[in-house]
Amino acid sequence: MKFTISAAKPEDCKNIERMIMELAVYEKMPDQVKISHKELERDGFGPNPFYRCLVAEVPEEHKSEDGNTTVGYAIFFYTYSTWKGRTVYMEDLYVMPEFRGNGIGKALLAAVAKEAKDQLCSRLQFSVLDWNKPSLDFYMAKGAEDLTAKEGWHFLRFHGMALDNLAQEAP
Amino acid sequence: MASYILRKAEPKDVSDILRLIKELAKFEEMEDQVILTEKDLLEDGFGDHPFYHCMVAEVAKQHQSTDGHVIVGFAMYYFTYDPWIGKLLYLEDFYVMKEYRGFGIGSEILKKLSQTAVRTRCSSMHFIVAEWNTSSIEFYKRRGASDLSLEEGWRLFKIDKQSLLKMTSEE
Repeated sequence: MKFTISAAKPEDCKNIERMIMELAVYEKMPDQVKISHKELERDGFGPNPFYRCLVAEVPEEHKSEDGNTTVGYAIFFYTYSTWKGRTVYMEDLYVMPEFRGNGIGKALLAAVAKEAKDQLCSRLQFSVLDWNKPSLDFYMAKGAEDLTAKEGWHFLRFHGMALDNLAQEAP
Repeated sequence: MASYILRKAEPKDVSDILRLIKELAKFEEMEDQVILTEKDLLEDGFGDHPFYHCMVAEVAKQHQSTDGHVIVGFAMYYFTYDPWIGKLLYLEDFYVMKEYRGFGIGSEILKKLSQTAVRTRCSSMHFIVAEWNTSSIEFYKRRGASDLSLEEGWRLFKIDKQSLLKMTSEE
C-alpha cells in the first residue's frame, strides 16, 4: 500500500488528537487525556514548539472505514543526557490497526531516526508499557534495549497537587 | 552552614557542571558512560537553541569545598511534551556534593524547579531514578512523587546510534 510520511501541519491537529485518543484507549488510560487539538496547535506550531510531529497519510482510495487518510503519527522532541549530550525522545508512535502490516510503523520510526541523525543526536529513547508485547517485539527487533530491566531505571513524577505543594513548601 | 545562593548557570560554570555530572555518574556507578565535554555543554546550553536549562548552588568563598570549589550543586532540566496533558518539566540531573548535604540545598532546588514548572504552565515534573537508589526514591516519595514504572508499568527503552543509522539506511 502506498503511503507518505511528512512533517505535520497545524491543520493535522484534529487527526492527531483523534489518534492520540485511540492510542490512549489501547494503553487503557483514555481518561488521562486532558488536552485537545487547540493545545496541540498552540504548543507544536508556535515560535517555540514543544514537540515535533510526523504523520503518515494514504491516498483517498485507501482511506479508513471511517473516512480518514491520516493513519499514523509519531510525536518526538529533543532532550539532553548529561552523559551523551543531545538525544531524541519519542513520546508516541501509532498506526491505526487497519493499516498495520504495511511498513508504516517502520517508516515512521526510520523518519524519527533520521531526524535524530540530522540533529547529531546519539540516541533515541522512549517508553513502553510492560504488558504491550506487540510493541516490545517491534522495538526489540530494531535494536532497542530495555533500560528498566537492564539498569533499573524507574519513571517518577510530581503531578498536579503534589507539584503545587512542592512549589509552596515552607523553607 | 552559612548561606548559599541558587542561580541560573552561566557559560563560565560549564567546567563545574561537568565535574558535578561526573561525580553523580560515579555515584550511579556509570562514570565511564559520560562522553560529554565542556565544549558540548557550552554549545548545547548557551547557544542559539539551548537543549537544556541549568541551575547551580553556590557557596561563599570562605565555605568552599575541601578541594576548593564554590559550585556545590546543580540541576539540569528541559521542557518535554505529553500528548495527554501538554507541557512537562523534565528533570535530567539533580545533585548536591556530599559535604553539603543536610542543609536543605536539595529541597530548595526542588522547590525552585517546581515553581518554574508551575510558572511555565507545566502539569507535571518528570524524572527517572535507578531502583536501587532507595535514598533518592525516599527523598522524592516523601515529597509526593509517584513511581509510574511501579504504578502503571512504564519501562524506559533506548536505541543507540548504530541501530539508528541502520534504520535510516534500510529501505
